[in-house]
Amino acid sequence: MFSQIRIALTGSLERVLTKLATFLPGVMALLLAVILLTLVGAGLAWIVKRLLTRIRFDERVGLENSAGVSDWSPGHSPTLLATRIVFWACVTLGVAVGISAFDAAYDGKADISAFLLPYIAHSIGSIVLLLAGTVVARFLARSVLIGAVNAKLQYARGLSVGVKWLVLVFTGAMVLNNLRIGGMVVDLAFGILFGGIVLTMALAVGLGSRDIVARSLDRSVSDLNPGSTERTVAARNSEEKPRVLRHF
Amino acid sequence: MASVDMIAETTREAASDETARAEAKTPPLRVLVCLSASARGPDADHGGKSLAGLMEDVATRLRSDRPNSQLMVAFPAYDTSAVETQENRGYKTVPYVAAGETRTVWMHSAEDFRRASTLMKQNDCSCCVLLGAEAHSIVPDTISAMIHMVIESGCDLAVPRYLIDPDEGVFNSAMLYPLSRSLFGSEVRTPLALDIAMSARMVERMGTATARIPAGSQATSILWPVAEAAVAGYSMGEVIAGRREEPISPDLDLKAALALVAGSLFSDIETKAAYWQRNRPAPLQMCSGEDVRTSGDTLAEFSMDEHDADPLIDSFRLAYGNLHEIWSLVLPPNSLLGLKKLSLMPTESFRMSDALWVRIVYDFALAHRLRTLNRGHLLGALTPLYLAWVASYILQCRNAEDAKRCMDALAAAFEADKPYLVSRWRWPDRFNP
Repeated sequence: MFSQIRIALTGSLERVLTKLATFLPGVMALLLAVILLTLVGAGLAWIVKRLLTRIRFDERVGLENSAGVSDWSPGHSPTLLATRIVFWACVTLGVAVGISAFDAAYDGKADISAFLLPYIAHSIGSIVLLLAGTVVARFLARSVLIGAVNAKLQYARGLSVGVKWLVLVFTGAMVLNNLRIGGMVVDLAFGILFGGIVLTMALAVGLGSRDIVARSLDRSVSDLNPGSTERTVAARNSEEKPRVLRHF
Repeated sequence: MASVDMIAETTREAASDETARAEAKTPPLRVLVCLSASARGPDADHGGKSLAGLMEDVATRLRSDRPNSQLMVAFPAYDTSAVETQENRGYKTVPYVAAGETRTVWMHSAEDFRRASTLMKQNDCSCCVLLGAEAHSIVPDTISAMIHMVIESGCDLAVPRYLIDPDEGVFNSAMLYPLSRSLFGSEVRTPLALDIAMSARMVERMGTATARIPAGSQATSILWPVAEAAVAGYSMGEVIAGRREEPISPDLDLKAALALVAGSLFSDIETKAAYWQRNRPAPLQMCSGEDVRTSGDTLAEFSMDEHDADPLIDSFRLAYGNLHEIWSLVLPPNSLLGLKKLSLMPTESFRMSDALWVRIVYDFALAHRLRTLNRGHLLGALTPLYLAWVASYILQCRNAEDAKRCMDALAAAFEADKPYLVSRWRWPDRFNP
């Protein structure tokens, strides 16, 4: 009996080691592809950075498009954005090549690349969605905050936070949907959460602060009067001439 | 004796013939007056006044100084094929295609300067006068004096210094004039003048400046002629004038108007950084201008009182509570501390020091260049700070004399702190007090 146990253990150890031995070249091929293309990507990114710096790409883009790429780019530098795109594109290509190499080196029956490659594409799309959603959420939150403060709304910060979370929840739902995680649960949860936030904001603004909104709207209408560059102050009595401060 | 009289008569006739021949040989002096794109045409009635009467008067004065001169008036027409060039009432009318309503109706856009440059070249003019909206209210003496400065005194840029009450043109007092004086050395009170007279080379320079702006944005972009003249080393001067009716732009609120003007100014400062960073810039050539005020032109008293500052102070306090994080991205700790103290001040003693306002403006100009945050957000965040300055101005300046003193003191503070801007501009990461 002990010899049979010994034979069984030896046999399974042999099989595992054999599997590992056949698995290892695939892994090495994957790692090699990723490392090589990462180095190529770093080199290309350096070349692109030197080229764009030489032609003053940041200044040209900033001059012609003041509210566009420069504001969205990391570090407000379109050159940095371009180099990062080049680098990460090469890394992604390296991962794709590596997976194909792993599949070819491992075992033709499993066809892992047919399963992994689309999932990697979806993952990359989800990461891009997440980044874009975060940037848009921050931008909109700040826009709403500044606009509400200039409109003298007391609940400016609440409005800004509400808008930010609306966009983030929307983005999160899209990312999970793209990754095919959760299915119907995510859709329902998103609907409930999004609708809840919107309803809460509507109630808070519409019912809880209707007097403030009415006063704010009145002020906004009087500020938008002809002479929107003027601030007209009502006279204290009907005989007094209205006082006007002109900014321009 | 009769023969002597005859000789004298013959001599006079010969002299007048000589003069007439000389004038016939010299090309006529052409002066172009461009009406704003919002003008309705020379003959339109503006409450009993018309531009035609004003232009006639100016043409008459021009001919009395220089008989061999011609006034041309360019006015907007939506269909130039239906309107012919006319010569009547002593001046020639030249229609141009209006670009449609623009947002910058109270100031000249790049489109206006480009059009003036084109018309100057087409008609071979020596002087160009751009008139802003509501030009019917301008006194003919003012326009004549501006033309005289350009043609006779050789000035490249002549602008009128209108009589402005202490509660008018507040943004000009807060930022435009002090920055223009500090960075470009110009004493011109209104760098963004409504009415401008320019020499041919000044118009050409402004036309070249419009080439930097994309064609689609020219109708809404502002140019700064005073800064252009300073950088080019051209001469400039002011005509001391009386009152003028100020145009009103119906479509912009304060935040949008401030973003438009301040954003344009900051961009212009960035473009001309090489000039204003010089240690010893060449002194500006200033021309002395005429004083064409009448005895009825007097300053009105400040119409605002202390209570009018209350809503502005409340607005600032609300902004301090909500925008402090955004301001901390732009302003150094010293300025933030100053704003904190300001937000805690009681209304009666609410005073923003000149030094604090100067630092705020310079830091915002730098942040505009570095794109520390989105430019729209940056200029939106500047609005409450400007309103705080206005509140302080209302509380400090109780009459016209106080307002003038405040304006001069502020301009001096901008000049004194210019090294701060230069240091931060050159080393934005290293020098951050």
